[in-house]
Amino acid sequence: MNVRDNWRVALLVVFVTASAIMLFVPGAAPGTSADNAGPTNLQYGIQLDGGTRLQAPAVGITAEGVNVTADGEARLASNVSSALSVDPIDVRVSAQSSTVEVFVRDVSHDQLRSVLEAEGYQPESVRDGVTQQTREEMVRVIGDKLRQSALDSGSVSTLQSTGGQQFISITAPDRDREELRSLLDERGVVRVYAFVPADNGTYVRHQVLSQGDFARISPAETQRGQAVVPVTIRESVAQQYQEDMVQYGFDEQTVCNYDRDEPQNTRGRCLLATLNGDIVFSGGVDGGLAQLYASGEFAENPVFQMETRNISEARELEISLRAGRLPAPLNFDEARSTELEPALAQRFKTNSLITGILAVFAVSGMVYLRYRNPRVALPMIVTALSEVLILLGFVSSVQYALNLSHIAGFIAVIGTGVDDLIIIADEILQQGEVATGRVFQNRFRKAFWVIGAAAATTIIAMSPLTVLGLGDLSGFAIVTIVGVLVGVLVTRPAYGDILRYLVLRQEHDDD
Amino acid sequence: MVEFEVPEIDYDQYSNRQLAAVPLAVLAVAIAVLVGAYLLTGSPVALGIEFTGGSQLTVESTMSQAEIQNTFTPEPVSVQGVGGQANTYVLTFDAEAENVSALVDQAEAADMTVLGSGETPASFGQQSQEIALLGLVVAFLGMSALAFALFRTFVPSIAIVLSAFSDIVIPLAVLSLLQVKLSLGTVAAFLMLIGYSVDSDILLNNHILRRRGEFYESTHAAMRTGVSMTLTSIAAMTVMAIMATFYNIDLMAQIGFVLVLGLTTDLMNTYMLNLSLLRWYKFEGVAR
Repeated sequence: MNVRDNWRVALLVVFVTASAIMLFVPGAAPGTSADNAGPTNLQYGIQLDGGTRLQAPAVGITAEGVNVTADGEARLASNVSSALSVDPIDVRVSAQSSTVEVFVRDVSHDQLRSVLEAEGYQPESVRDGVTQQTREEMVRVIGDKLRQSALDSGSVSTLQSTGGQQFISITAPDRDREELRSLLDERGVVRVYAFVPADNGTYVRHQVLSQGDFARISPAETQRGQAVVPVTIRESVAQQYQEDMVQYGFDEQTVCNYDRDEPQNTRGRCLLATLNGDIVFSGGVDGGLAQLYASGEFAENPVFQMETRNISEARELEISLRAGRLPAPLNFDEARSTELEPALAQRFKTNSLITGILAVFAVSGMVYLRYRNPRVALPMIVTALSEVLILLGFVSSVQYALNLSHIAGFIAVIGTGVDDLIIIADEILQQGEVATGRVFQNRFRKAFWVIGAAAATTIIAMSPLTVLGLGDLSGFAIVTIVGVLVGVLVTRPAYGDILRYLVLRQEHDDD
Repeated sequence: MVEFEVPEIDYDQYSNRQLAAVPLAVLAVAIAVLVGAYLLTGSPVALGIEFTGGSQLTVESTMSQAEIQNTFTPEPVSVQGVGGQANTYVLTFDAEAENVSALVDQAEAADMTVLGSGETPASFGQQSQEIALLGLVVAFLGMSALAFALFRTFVPSIAIVLSAFSDIVIPLAVLSLLQVKLSLGTVAAFLMLIGYSVDSDILLNNHILRRRGEFYESTHAAMRTGVSMTLTSIAAMTVMAIMATFYNIDLMAQIGFVLVLGLTTDLMNTYMLNLSLLRWYKFEGVAR
């Protein structure tokens, strides 16, 4: 037998080998490391490994079709925020998408509409939810937060749904719900204020820096017993900041005695840094820095240290500065969440594996009872199993996180796979000689028509699930569809060749 | 040892009307069940928390089921033991319960170990219902269009569509009677059923319409292959349903159960309903 006659079998061997490498050789699958601890390169989702998943929509409403110009963005945003009396960071105006978004709960559609109309704009519609741009930014910020907080294996994505509502889905393998929520609950808003007495003696806050004004953030550290985050200010704002410092009297050494309970009882001049509205730093400016402000040298090398009360606060400040703030808060009231202890997930993993193996035995038993001929039945089972192996290779090469629905998909693939092999076997083994190539080809083609038609119906039936936002089920559908494709294009044709070879040899032996 | 041979049925002794009557009667009963359930409860089938909203906890505790039931306010809708695992229970709460964090606190206050928890808000569930329905309709229409594209004649194509429809409706009615709560897993199973059940119909149509040979000879050849196929699948799915029920892996148990029901229904629909339509088409329909 040469390769040209048996290219289908050769193709199967290539696929099986490649899959085995993807599956078992440490580091072979993209994104895995060579010192992977597990026996395979498979990634498990929270159902099989434990962890937390949260799916929540963003808080906010969006007015669409607002014909604002790029120049008018900032003015409209500040007018809307003051008219609705919401924080300026909770309003976003985009000329590019002609939208105005407000990210707070208690503003109604009508309120936003009338504010915009008062400003001379005619919004086409006001709807719940935020824009795609905002969602994408949220996904990026949450992803950064997860990475910064050492949740390196966590993942974030948007979840599409037909109802118009969009969800952000966050999966964190080794966290419980409370930890994940506390990380996401806060938007990570960082601000720096000058807190100085006005002419009449009452203290007033003046914002001098906001989130976007920091260029470089160094890791939180402890210097002489003090937790600090060294930061560099953007060049574009350094000059303004320096002038502000001089204006508020920080060009000479200042002492600060900030009173947290009664801010008006504060003495001295203070710089305040807030994280999500909480004051994490309060203090004066020492002589050296004050001199830099006074002389204007500061703007040339705009570096200073933000002090915090303890290292964990410094760490939190650093994460917020680095990841940026969430453009809109997440609505946890409408969140769907799942949390699974690793112990229970481990049990699911073992039990679903046992279930899968028993299903294979059941199929094998039926096939053997039906054909009574190991030459027909054995390759059938081996072919079906190689289909599962190829699928496992596929999921580990794309580093798909396996969940229970995928295991169900594998069992489904074994089921349909064997169905098709039965069609091939029955067609090829029907009465009469198989010996000549033409008869074989002819029968094989006939069998393939049915298999192809059946595969097409399965793919059509499953395809809605791949795009509809039904959570776990898209994984199930993708596994089934890929399985059917692999089966029809690779493994099932190869089975035909194997069968032909074995049956011909048997006939030969019998002679 | 057991012999596994597909019996040769003598179709000659039954008229088309007789053959079609049984599956059509079962289908009519199934539709009646679903309509009745809809009139009584507002929904043809019971819906699980993934569609109505609610919370679920998996806990480990030495308490009895009744004690666990009384520990919570509001009380869980159901407390289920997990097979093969002593002292492990799955608790389901409806959408009226507070958020799941509060339930976890209650469980921990009562010295239970919480192994897993999840919640679906009612709004999310409502949306899932719509999406699931849409998915089923799109899949069914897609399959129907494909059936017509494959055979390009009305009667054989409509025979496939009709048996696929019945393959879905009859298991749905069984679920409704057994008060099984529909979940996302069941939806996946129904979609799979659309793909799976059509296989044997395509096989039968193909043998009878596209091949030379006498009608009953073709029928028997198609049955030999088709019944083996379906029985093999039923075997795999029965094992999956039983094992997953024992281990309380809901998703897999539901997929398995629905497919066993659907494939069994499919045996009846393919070899009685579809066959009678084909025979009528072959011997009478074409002649006219």
